[in-house]
Amino acid sequence: MGEVDLNFRPDVPVIDANIALGRRHNRRVKVDTLEGTLKAMAHVGVGRALAYSPHAATFDSRDGNDLLIETIAGDERILPQFVCNPSYDDMDAFASYVKEHGGRAVRMIPPLHRYPFVDWIVGDWLDWLTGEGLPLLLSIEEVDPVAIYSTLEKHPDLAVVLCEVKYSDATWALPLLRQLQNLHMEISRFVGSGGVDKLMTTVGDQRFLFGSRFPDSQMGAQLYNLHRCGLSTESLTAICAGNLERLLGLG
Amino acid sequence: MDDDPVRFISIMDAAGVDRACINCIFHGDARRGNDVVTRFTSEHPDRFIGVGFVTPHYPEEAIGELERCFDVLGMRSLKVYPTYFERPIDDLAYMPIFEWCDSRGIVVMSHSSWVFDIDVLTLPTRFIALAKRFSNIRWVLAHSGNAPRGNVLAVEAAQACPNIYLETATSFADHGAIEFLVEGAGADRVVFGSDSPLLDSRTQIGRILTSTLPDDAKAKVLGLNAIRLLGLDSAGRG
Repeated sequence: MGEVDLNFRPDVPVIDANIALGRRHNRRVKVDTLEGTLKAMAHVGVGRALAYSPHAATFDSRDGNDLLIETIAGDERILPQFVCNPSYDDMDAFASYVKEHGGRAVRMIPPLHRYPFVDWIVGDWLDWLTGEGLPLLLSIEEVDPVAIYSTLEKHPDLAVVLCEVKYSDATWALPLLRQLQNLHMEISRFVGSGGVDKLMTTVGDQRFLFGSRFPDSQMGAQLYNLHRCGLSTESLTAICAGNLERLLGLG
Repeated sequence: MDDDPVRFISIMDAAGVDRACINCIFHGDARRGNDVVTRFTSEHPDRFIGVGFVTPHYPEEAIGELERCFDVLGMRSLKVYPTYFERPIDDLAYMPIFEWCDSRGIVVMSHSSWVFDIDVLTLPTRFIALAKRFSNIRWVLAHSGNAPRGNVLAVEAAQACPNIYLETATSFADHGAIEFLVEGAGADRVVFGSDSPLLDSRTQIGRILTSTLPDDAKAKVLGLNAIRLLGLDSAGRG
Protein backbone atom coordinates (compact mmCIF):
# COMPACT_ATOMS: atom_id res chain seq x y z
CA MET A 1 0.00 0.00 0.00
CA GLY A 2 1.15 3.54 -0.70
CA GLU A 3 2.33 5.89 1.98
CA VAL A 4 -0.93 7.02 3.53
CA ASP A 5 -1.97 7.86 7.05
CA LEU A 6 -4.97 5.76 8.03
CA ASN A 7 -5.41 7.74 11.25
CA PHE A 8 -4.61 11.24 10.11
CA ARG A 9 -4.31 14.10 12.59
CA PRO A 10 -3.37 17.65 11.59
CA ASP A 11 0.09 19.01 12.40
CA VAL A 12 -1.14 22.50 13.27
CA PRO A 13 -4.13 24.12 15.03
CA VAL A 14 -7.14 24.22 12.73
CA ILE A 15 -10.16 26.50 12.43
CA ASP A 16 -12.72 25.50 9.83
CA ALA A 17 -13.77 28.69 8.03
CA ASN A 18 -17.01 27.39 6.62
CA ILE A 19 -19.53 25.14 8.31
CA ALA A 20 -23.32 25.24 8.57
CA LEU A 21 -25.00 24.32 11.84
CA GLY A 22 -28.63 23.34 12.15
CA ARG A 23 -31.49 21.65 10.41
CA ARG A 24 -32.55 22.23 6.80
CA HIS A 25 -36.05 22.62 5.50
CA ASN A 26 -35.54 20.51 2.39
CA ARG A 27 -33.54 17.50 3.53
CA ARG A 28 -32.07 15.85 6.57
CA VAL A 29 -28.30 16.26 6.64
CA LYS A 30 -26.19 13.67 8.44
CA VAL A 31 -25.11 16.11 11.17
CA ASP A 32 -27.41 18.91 12.28
CA THR A 33 -26.62 19.33 15.98
CA LEU A 34 -23.92 21.00 18.04
CA GLU A 35 -22.96 17.68 19.59
CA GLY A 36 -22.59 15.97 16.20
CA THR A 37 -20.61 18.87 14.80
CA LEU A 38 -18.19 18.87 17.72
CA LYS A 39 -17.76 15.11 17.37
CA ALA A 40 -16.91 15.46 13.69
CA MET A 41 -14.47 18.26 14.50
CA ALA A 42 -12.75 16.14 17.13
CA HIS A 43 -12.52 13.19 14.72
CA VAL A 44 -10.35 15.12 12.26
CA GLY A 45 -8.65 17.50 14.68
CA VAL A 46 -10.49 20.74 13.99
CA GLY A 47 -10.37 22.89 17.12
CA ARG A 48 -12.81 25.63 16.17
CA ALA A 49 -15.20 26.40 13.35
CA LEU A 50 -16.90 29.48 11.93
CA ALA A 51 -20.56 28.55 11.56
CA TYR A 52 -23.66 30.03 10.02
CA SER A 53 -27.27 28.96 10.25
CA PRO A 54 -28.81 27.39 7.13
CA HIS A 55 -32.18 28.56 8.46
CA ALA A 56 -30.83 32.12 8.26
CA ALA A 57 -29.86 31.48 4.67
CA THR A 58 -33.08 29.93 3.44
CA PHE A 59 -35.83 31.44 5.60
CA ASP A 60 -35.12 34.53 7.67
CA SER A 61 -31.77 35.98 8.64
CA ARG A 62 -32.79 37.23 12.09
CA ASP A 63 -34.67 34.06 12.93
CA GLY A 64 -31.78 31.89 11.80
CA ASN A 65 -29.12 33.97 13.52
CA ASP A 66 -31.10 33.72 16.77
CA LEU A 67 -31.30 29.97 16.30
CA LEU A 68 -27.53 29.79 15.78
CA ILE A 69 -26.85 31.61 19.04
CA GLU A 70 -29.28 29.32 20.83
CA THR A 71 -27.69 26.22 19.29
CA ILE A 72 -24.12 27.21 20.05
CA ALA A 73 -25.12 27.93 23.66
CA GLY A 74 -21.88 29.73 24.41
CA ASP A 75 -19.58 26.93 23.26
CA GLU A 76 -16.39 28.75 22.30
CA ARG A 77 -15.39 26.12 19.75
CA ILE A 78 -18.08 27.44 17.42
CA LEU A 79 -17.63 31.00 16.21
CA PRO A 80 -20.90 32.56 15.04
CA GLN A 81 -21.17 34.05 11.60
CA PHE A 82 -24.30 36.09 10.99
CA VAL A 83 -26.20 35.99 7.72
CA CYS A 84 -27.60 39.26 6.41
CA ASN A 85 -30.00 39.99 3.60
CA PRO A 86 -29.30 43.53 2.35
CA SER A 87 -32.40 43.50 0.18
CA TYR A 88 -34.63 43.03 3.22
CA ASP A 89 -32.88 43.55 6.56
CA ASP A 90 -32.59 46.89 8.34
CA MET A 91 -28.89 47.61 8.41
CA ASP A 92 -28.87 49.58 11.68
CA ALA A 93 -30.81 46.85 13.48
CA PHE A 94 -28.50 44.20 12.06
CA ALA A 95 -25.43 46.20 13.11
CA SER A 96 -26.76 46.45 16.66
CA TYR A 97 -27.47 42.73 16.66
CA VAL A 98 -23.95 41.85 15.54
CA LYS A 99 -22.46 44.13 18.20
CA GLU A 100 -24.72 42.76 20.92
CA HIS A 101 -23.75 39.17 20.15
CA GLY A 102 -20.07 39.77 19.49
CA GLY A 103 -20.27 38.72 15.84
CA ARG A 104 -16.97 38.65 14.01
CA ALA A 105 -18.07 37.84 10.48
CA VAL A 106 -21.05 38.40 8.18
CA ARG A 107 -22.26 36.25 5.31
CA MET A 108 -24.11 37.27 2.17
CA ILE A 109 -25.87 34.83 -0.15
CA PRO A 110 -27.08 36.99 -3.05
CA PRO A 111 -28.76 34.49 -5.40
CA LEU A 112 -30.61 32.71 -2.62
CA HIS A 113 -31.88 36.06 -1.37
CA ARG A 114 -32.65 37.14 -4.93
CA TYR A 115 -30.55 40.27 -5.32
CA PRO A 116 -27.61 40.99 -7.58
CA PHE A 117 -24.28 41.65 -5.89
CA VAL A 118 -24.07 45.28 -6.99
CA ASP A 119 -22.95 48.39 -5.17
CA TRP A 120 -26.33 50.09 -5.36
CA ILE A 121 -27.76 47.30 -3.21
CA VAL A 122 -24.89 46.18 -0.98
CA GLY A 123 -22.66 49.28 -1.00
CA ASP A 124 -23.87 50.73 2.30
CA TRP A 125 -23.50 47.35 3.94
CA LEU A 126 -19.96 46.97 2.66
CA ASP A 127 -19.10 50.45 3.98
CA TRP A 128 -20.45 49.45 7.38
CA LEU A 129 -18.46 46.21 7.41
CA THR A 130 -15.32 48.09 6.43
CA GLY A 131 -15.83 50.59 9.23
CA GLU A 132 -16.33 47.83 11.79
CA GLY A 133 -13.41 45.76 10.52
CA LEU A 134 -15.68 42.78 9.93
CA PRO A 135 -14.94 40.37 7.09
CA LEU A 136 -17.58 39.47 4.54
CA LEU A 137 -17.99 35.83 3.62
CA LEU A 138 -19.62 35.69 0.22
CA SER A 139 -21.32 32.54 -1.06
CA ILE A 140 -20.44 32.72 -4.72
CA GLU A 141 -22.71 30.02 -6.13
CA GLU A 142 -24.33 31.61 -9.19
CA VAL A 143 -22.95 35.09 -8.41
CA ASP A 144 -21.74 36.95 -11.49
CA PRO A 145 -17.94 37.33 -11.24
CA VAL A 146 -18.20 40.63 -13.10
CA ALA A 147 -20.46 41.94 -10.34
CA ILE A 148 -18.05 40.69 -7.67
CA TYR A 149 -15.19 42.57 -9.30
CA SER A 150 -17.01 45.81 -10.05
CA THR A 151 -18.53 45.95 -6.57
CA LEU A 152 -15.53 44.98 -4.49
CA GLU A 153 -13.09 47.21 -6.33
CA LYS A 154 -15.03 50.10 -4.79
CA HIS A 155 -14.34 48.73 -1.29
CA PRO A 156 -10.61 48.00 -1.24
CA ASP A 157 -10.32 48.03 2.55
CA LEU A 158 -12.99 45.42 3.13
CA ALA A 159 -11.72 41.88 3.76
CA VAL A 160 -13.78 39.46 1.68
CA VAL A 161 -13.72 35.68 1.61
CA LEU A 162 -15.15 33.92 -1.43
CA CYS A 163 -16.83 30.76 -0.18
CA GLU A 164 -17.59 27.52 -2.02
CA VAL A 165 -15.46 28.38 -5.04
CA LYS A 166 -15.61 25.23 -7.16
CA TYR A 167 -12.68 23.75 -9.02
CA SER A 168 -14.44 24.67 -12.25
CA ASP A 169 -14.56 28.33 -11.13
CA ALA A 170 -10.76 28.55 -11.31
CA THR A 171 -11.11 30.15 -14.75
CA TRP A 172 -12.30 33.40 -13.18
CA ALA A 173 -11.56 33.02 -9.46
CA LEU A 174 -7.77 32.98 -9.78
CA PRO A 175 -7.66 36.08 -12.04
CA LEU A 176 -10.04 37.80 -9.63
CA LEU A 177 -7.76 37.04 -6.69
CA ARG A 178 -4.89 38.57 -8.64
CA GLN A 179 -6.89 41.74 -9.31
CA LEU A 180 -8.32 42.41 -5.85
CA GLN A 181 -5.84 42.38 -3.01
CA ASN A 182 -8.55 42.39 -0.35
CA LEU A 183 -9.97 39.14 -1.64
CA HIS A 184 -9.49 35.75 0.02
CA MET A 185 -10.73 32.30 -0.85
CA GLU A 186 -12.12 29.42 1.20
CA ILE A 187 -11.19 26.09 -0.40
CA SER A 188 -13.87 23.56 0.53
CA ARG A 189 -14.93 23.01 -3.08
CA PHE A 190 -11.66 23.94 -4.74
CA VAL A 191 -10.75 20.30 -5.19
CA GLY A 192 -9.32 20.35 -8.69
CA SER A 193 -5.99 18.73 -9.33
CA GLY A 194 -3.19 20.92 -7.99
CA GLY A 195 -5.67 23.54 -6.73
CA VAL A 196 -3.68 24.38 -3.60
CA ASP A 197 -0.46 24.59 -5.61
CA LYS A 198 -2.12 27.06 -7.99
CA LEU A 199 -3.33 29.20 -5.09
CA MET A 200 0.16 29.27 -3.59
CA THR A 201 1.53 30.42 -6.92
CA THR A 202 -1.24 32.95 -7.49
CA VAL A 203 -1.61 34.64 -4.10
CA GLY A 204 0.70 32.93 -1.62
CA ASP A 205 -0.25 31.51 1.76
CA GLN A 206 -1.96 34.57 3.27
CA ARG A 207 -5.10 34.76 1.16
CA PHE A 208 -6.73 31.39 1.20
CA LEU A 209 -8.31 29.50 4.07
CA PHE A 210 -9.16 25.98 5.03
CA GLY A 211 -12.92 25.47 5.09
CA SER A 212 -14.94 22.31 4.68
CA ARG A 213 -18.56 23.28 3.89
CA PHE A 214 -19.48 20.71 6.53
CA PRO A 215 -21.89 18.90 6.67
CA ASP A 216 -22.46 19.23 2.92
CA SER A 217 -18.86 18.13 2.47
CA GLN A 218 -16.62 15.93 4.56
CA MET A 219 -14.62 17.92 7.09
CA GLY A 220 -11.26 16.20 6.77
CA ALA A 221 -10.69 15.77 3.03
CA GLN A 222 -9.19 19.16 2.18
CA LEU A 223 -7.37 19.22 5.49
CA TYR A 224 -5.60 16.02 4.47
CA ASN A 225 -4.86 17.50 1.06
CA LEU A 226 -3.23 20.55 2.66
CA HIS A 227 -0.91 18.25 4.59
CA ARG A 228 0.18 16.57 1.36
CA CYS A 229 1.03 19.68 -0.64
CA GLY A 230 4.59 20.15 0.61
CA LEU A 231 3.68 23.33 2.51
CA SER A 232 5.98 24.72 5.18
CA THR A 233 4.68 24.67 8.75
CA GLU A 234 4.30 28.44 8.56
CA SER A 235 2.16 28.23 5.44
CA LEU A 236 0.10 25.36 6.79
CA THR A 237 -0.50 27.26 10.03
CA ALA A 238 -1.62 30.33 8.12
CA ILE A 239 -4.01 28.46 5.84
CA CYS A 240 -5.46 26.21 8.53
CA ALA A 241 -6.06 28.90 11.14
CA GLY A 242 -3.85 31.99 11.09
CA ASN A 243 -5.44 33.76 8.17
CA LEU A 244 -8.93 33.37 9.56
CA GLU A 245 -7.78 34.45 13.03
CA ARG A 246 -6.36 37.60 11.46
CA LEU A 247 -9.55 38.33 9.53
CA LEU A 248 -11.72 37.74 12.58
CA GLY A 249 -9.47 39.79 14.84
CA LEU A 250 -8.78 36.90 17.15
CA GLY A 251 -5.71 37.09 19.35
CA MET B 1 -6.19 19.41 -20.01
CA ASP B 2 -3.37 18.93 -17.52
CA ASP B 3 -2.05 15.60 -18.76
CA ASP B 4 1.65 15.77 -18.04
CA PRO B 5 2.47 12.28 -16.71
CA VAL B 6 5.33 13.56 -14.57
CA ARG B 7 3.05 16.00 -12.81
CA PHE B 8 0.40 13.29 -12.59
CA ILE B 9 2.86 10.99 -10.84
CA SER B 10 4.10 13.70 -8.49
CA ILE B 11 0.55 14.21 -7.21
CA MET B 12 0.07 10.44 -6.93
CA ASP B 13 3.26 10.30 -4.85
CA ALA B 14 2.10 13.12 -2.59
CA ALA B 15 -1.27 11.44 -2.13
CA GLY B 16 0.22 8.00 -1.50
CA VAL B 17 -1.20 6.40 -4.64
CA ASP B 18 0.93 3.54 -5.98
CA ARG B 19 -0.85 2.90 -9.26
CA ALA B 20 -3.67 4.51 -11.18
CA CYS B 21 -6.09 3.15 -13.76
CA ILE B 22 -5.90 5.65 -16.57
CA ASN B 23 -8.26 6.27 -19.47
CA CYS B 24 -8.77 8.81 -22.23
CA ILE B 25 -12.47 9.00 -23.02
CA PHE B 26 -12.75 12.33 -24.76
CA HIS B 27 -12.04 11.55 -28.39
CA GLY B 28 -14.63 10.98 -31.09
CA ASP B 29 -12.10 8.52 -32.45
CA ALA B 30 -11.61 6.02 -29.63
CA ARG B 31 -8.40 4.74 -31.16
CA ARG B 32 -6.69 8.08 -30.57
CA GLY B 33 -7.68 8.09 -26.90
CA ASN B 34 -6.48 4.53 -26.39
CA ASP B 35 -3.16 5.41 -27.99
CA VAL B 36 -2.74 8.25 -25.49
CA VAL B 37 -3.34 5.79 -22.67
CA THR B 38 -0.80 3.39 -24.15
CA ARG B 39 1.79 6.16 -24.24
CA PHE B 40 1.29 6.68 -20.50
CA THR B 41 1.34 2.99 -19.63
CA SER B 42 4.34 2.17 -21.79
CA GLU B 43 6.37 5.05 -20.34
CA HIS B 44 5.36 4.29 -16.75
CA PRO B 45 4.26 0.64 -16.59
CA ASP B 46 4.82 0.52 -12.85
CA ARG B 47 2.45 3.43 -12.17
CA PHE B 48 -0.36 3.32 -14.72
CA ILE B 49 -2.84 0.59 -15.61
CA GLY B 50 -4.44 0.99 -19.02
CA VAL B 51 -8.20 1.35 -19.34
CA GLY B 52 -9.76 1.09 -22.79
CA PHE B 53 -12.56 3.13 -24.28
CA VAL B 54 -14.96 2.80 -27.21
CA THR B 55 -17.63 5.15 -28.51
CA PRO B 56 -21.23 4.11 -29.15
CA HIS B 57 -21.40 6.39 -32.18
CA TYR B 58 -19.15 4.15 -34.31
CA PRO B 59 -20.43 0.62 -33.63
CA GLU B 60 -18.68 -0.69 -36.72
CA GLU B 61 -15.34 0.13 -35.08
CA ALA B 62 -16.15 -0.86 -31.51
CA ILE B 63 -15.45 -4.61 -31.45
CA GLY B 64 -12.22 -4.28 -33.39
CA GLU B 65 -11.04 -1.58 -31.02
CA LEU B 66 -12.02 -3.66 -27.99
CA GLU B 67 -9.93 -6.54 -29.35
CA ARG B 68 -7.01 -4.17 -29.89
CA CYS B 69 -7.38 -2.76 -26.37
CA PHE B 70 -7.45 -6.06 -24.56
CA ASP B 71 -5.51 -8.41 -26.83
CA VAL B 72 -2.82 -6.06 -28.12
CA LEU B 73 -2.50 -3.08 -25.77
CA GLY B 74 -2.99 -5.03 -22.54
CA MET B 75 -5.80 -2.89 -21.13
CA ARG B 76 -7.29 -4.18 -17.85
CA SER B 77 -10.79 -2.72 -18.01
CA LEU B 78 -13.15 -0.58 -20.09
CA LYS B 79 -14.53 2.90 -19.36
CA VAL B 80 -17.62 4.38 -20.98
CA TYR B 81 -18.91 7.90 -20.52
CA PRO B 82 -22.55 8.05 -21.67
CA THR B 83 -23.11 11.61 -20.45
CA TYR B 84 -20.32 13.08 -22.57
CA PHE B 85 -21.38 11.07 -25.61
CA GLU B 86 -25.05 11.90 -25.00
CA ARG B 87 -26.36 8.34 -25.10
CA PRO B 88 -27.85 6.66 -22.00
CA ILE B 89 -25.95 3.73 -20.53
CA ASP B 90 -28.66 1.32 -21.68
CA ASP B 91 -28.84 2.69 -25.23
CA LEU B 92 -28.99 -0.05 -27.85
CA ALA B 93 -25.73 1.17 -29.34
CA TYR B 94 -23.90 -0.07 -26.26
CA MET B 95 -25.31 -3.59 -26.38
CA PRO B 96 -22.78 -5.17 -28.80
CA ILE B 97 -20.02 -3.63 -26.69
CA PHE B 98 -21.43 -5.08 -23.48
CA GLU B 99 -22.03 -8.46 -25.13
CA TRP B 100 -18.37 -8.61 -26.07
CA CYS B 101 -17.30 -7.56 -22.57
CA ASP B 102 -19.67 -10.11 -21.04
CA SER B 103 -18.10 -12.87 -23.12
CA ARG B 104 -14.68 -11.91 -21.77
CA GLY B 105 -15.69 -11.14 -18.17
CA ILE B 106 -14.39 -7.58 -18.49
CA VAL B 107 -14.57 -4.93 -15.77
CA VAL B 108 -16.61 -2.01 -17.13
CA MET B 109 -16.62 1.36 -15.44
CA SER B 110 -19.21 3.96 -16.35
CA HIS B 111 -19.87 7.47 -15.17
CA SER B 112 -22.94 7.38 -12.89
CA SER B 113 -24.75 10.41 -11.64
CA TRP B 114 -27.97 11.78 -10.32
CA VAL B 115 -27.47 15.39 -9.30
CA PHE B 116 -30.19 17.26 -11.16
CA ASP B 117 -33.56 15.92 -12.27
CA ILE B 118 -32.50 15.98 -15.91
CA ASP B 119 -29.28 14.12 -15.11
CA VAL B 120 -30.62 10.66 -15.95
CA LEU B 121 -28.40 9.19 -18.68
CA THR B 122 -26.40 7.31 -16.06
CA LEU B 123 -28.95 7.10 -13.28
CA PRO B 124 -27.45 4.41 -11.00
CA THR B 125 -30.56 2.25 -11.06
CA ARG B 126 -30.34 2.01 -14.87
CA PHE B 127 -27.39 -0.32 -14.27
CA ILE B 128 -29.50 -2.95 -12.51
CA ALA B 129 -31.03 -4.46 -15.62
CA LEU B 130 -27.69 -4.29 -17.41
CA ALA B 131 -25.85 -6.00 -14.58
CA LYS B 132 -28.42 -8.79 -14.55
CA ARG B 133 -28.37 -9.22 -18.32
CA PHE B 134 -24.56 -9.04 -18.59
CA SER B 135 -23.75 -10.90 -15.41
CA ASN B 136 -20.14 -11.74 -16.30
CA ILE B 137 -19.25 -8.07 -16.41
CA ARG B 138 -18.09 -6.52 -13.13
CA TRP B 139 -19.73 -3.09 -13.30
CA VAL B 140 -18.09 -0.15 -11.55
CA LEU B 141 -20.27 2.90 -11.02
CA ALA B 142 -17.89 5.85 -11.16
CA HIS B 143 -18.82 8.56 -8.62
CA SER B 144 -21.46 6.29 -7.06
CA GLY B 145 -24.16 8.61 -8.32
CA ASN B 146 -22.26 11.77 -7.30
CA ALA B 147 -24.69 13.64 -5.02
CA PRO B 148 -26.42 12.20 -1.91
CA ARG B 149 -29.56 11.17 -3.76
CA GLY B 150 -27.40 9.54 -6.42
CA ASN B 151 -25.54 7.70 -3.66
CA VAL B 152 -28.83 6.24 -2.47
CA LEU B 153 -29.58 4.85 -5.93
CA ALA B 154 -26.03 3.55 -6.32
CA VAL B 155 -26.34 1.58 -3.11
CA GLU B 156 -29.73 0.31 -4.29
CA ALA B 157 -28.07 -0.93 -7.49
CA ALA B 158 -25.21 -2.58 -5.60
CA GLN B 159 -27.62 -4.32 -3.26
CA ALA B 160 -29.61 -5.62 -6.22
CA CYS B 161 -26.58 -6.93 -8.13
CA PRO B 162 -23.49 -8.61 -6.66
CA ASN B 163 -21.51 -7.67 -9.78
CA ILE B 164 -21.91 -3.91 -9.20
CA TYR B 165 -19.10 -2.01 -7.47
CA LEU B 166 -19.07 1.61 -6.34
CA GLU B 167 -16.26 4.09 -6.98
CA THR B 168 -15.76 7.08 -4.69
CA ALA B 169 -14.51 10.11 -6.67
CA THR B 170 -16.71 13.21 -6.64
CA SER B 171 -16.48 16.94 -6.07
CA PHE B 172 -19.69 16.82 -4.00
CA ALA B 173 -18.15 14.69 -1.26
CA ASP B 174 -20.92 14.96 1.30
CA HIS B 175 -20.09 14.26 4.89
CA GLY B 176 -20.71 10.59 5.61
CA ALA B 177 -20.89 9.57 1.96
CA ILE B 178 -18.02 7.09 2.17
CA GLU B 179 -19.47 5.45 5.25
CA PHE B 180 -22.89 5.31 3.56
CA LEU B 181 -21.50 3.55 0.49
CA VAL B 182 -19.55 1.00 2.51
CA GLU B 183 -22.45 0.32 4.82
CA GLY B 184 -24.78 -0.13 1.86
CA ALA B 185 -22.63 -2.04 -0.62
CA GLY B 186 -20.19 -3.68 1.78
CA ALA B 187 -16.51 -2.94 2.29
CA ASP B 188 -15.56 -5.42 -0.45
CA ARG B 189 -17.41 -3.55 -3.20
CA VAL B 190 -16.31 0.07 -2.81
CA VAL B 191 -13.18 1.23 -4.63
CA PHE B 192 -11.20 4.45 -4.25
CA GLY B 193 -10.91 6.67 -7.30
CA SER B 194 -9.68 10.22 -7.74
CA ASP B 195 -10.99 11.47 -11.11
CA SER B 196 -7.53 12.93 -11.68
CA PRO B 197 -6.47 15.11 -13.35
CA LEU B 198 -9.83 16.83 -12.98
CA LEU B 199 -9.85 16.42 -9.19
CA ASP B 200 -6.91 16.20 -6.80
CA SER B 201 -5.94 12.73 -5.57
CA ARG B 202 -4.91 14.16 -2.22
CA THR B 203 -8.37 15.47 -1.42
CA GLN B 204 -10.08 12.36 -2.72
CA ILE B 205 -7.88 9.99 -0.74
CA GLY B 206 -8.40 12.25 2.26
CA ARG B 207 -12.09 11.41 2.08
CA ILE B 208 -11.28 7.75 2.70
CA LEU B 209 -8.57 8.35 5.28
CA THR B 210 -10.55 10.82 7.39
CA SER B 211 -13.74 8.79 7.25
CA THR B 212 -14.87 6.81 10.28
CA LEU B 213 -14.34 3.45 8.55
CA PRO B 214 -12.23 0.89 10.45
CA ASP B 215 -8.69 0.49 9.14
CA ASP B 216 -9.35 -2.86 7.46
CA ALA B 217 -12.23 -1.36 5.49
CA LYS B 218 -10.10 1.64 4.52
CA ALA B 219 -7.42 -0.73 3.20
CA LYS B 220 -9.96 -2.57 1.10
CA VAL B 221 -11.40 0.60 -0.38
CA LEU B 222 -7.98 2.15 -0.98
CA GLY B 223 -6.58 -0.72 -2.97
CA LEU B 224 -7.27 -4.30 -1.98
CA ASN B 225 -10.64 -4.35 -3.73
CA ALA B 226 -9.19 -2.94 -6.95
CA ILE B 227 -6.36 -5.47 -6.87
CA ARG B 228 -8.90 -8.27 -6.62
CA LEU B 229 -11.27 -6.77 -9.17
CA LEU B 230 -8.58 -6.21 -11.81
CA GLY B 231 -6.74 -9.44 -11.14
CA LEU B 232 -3.49 -7.76 -10.14
CA ASP B 233 -0.87 -9.34 -7.92
CA SER B 234 -0.61 -8.44 -4.23
CA ALA B 235 1.74 -5.59 -5.07
CA GLY B 236 -0.87 -4.18 -7.42
CA ARG B 237 0.93 -5.23 -10.61
CA GLY B 238 -0.67 -6.83 -13.59
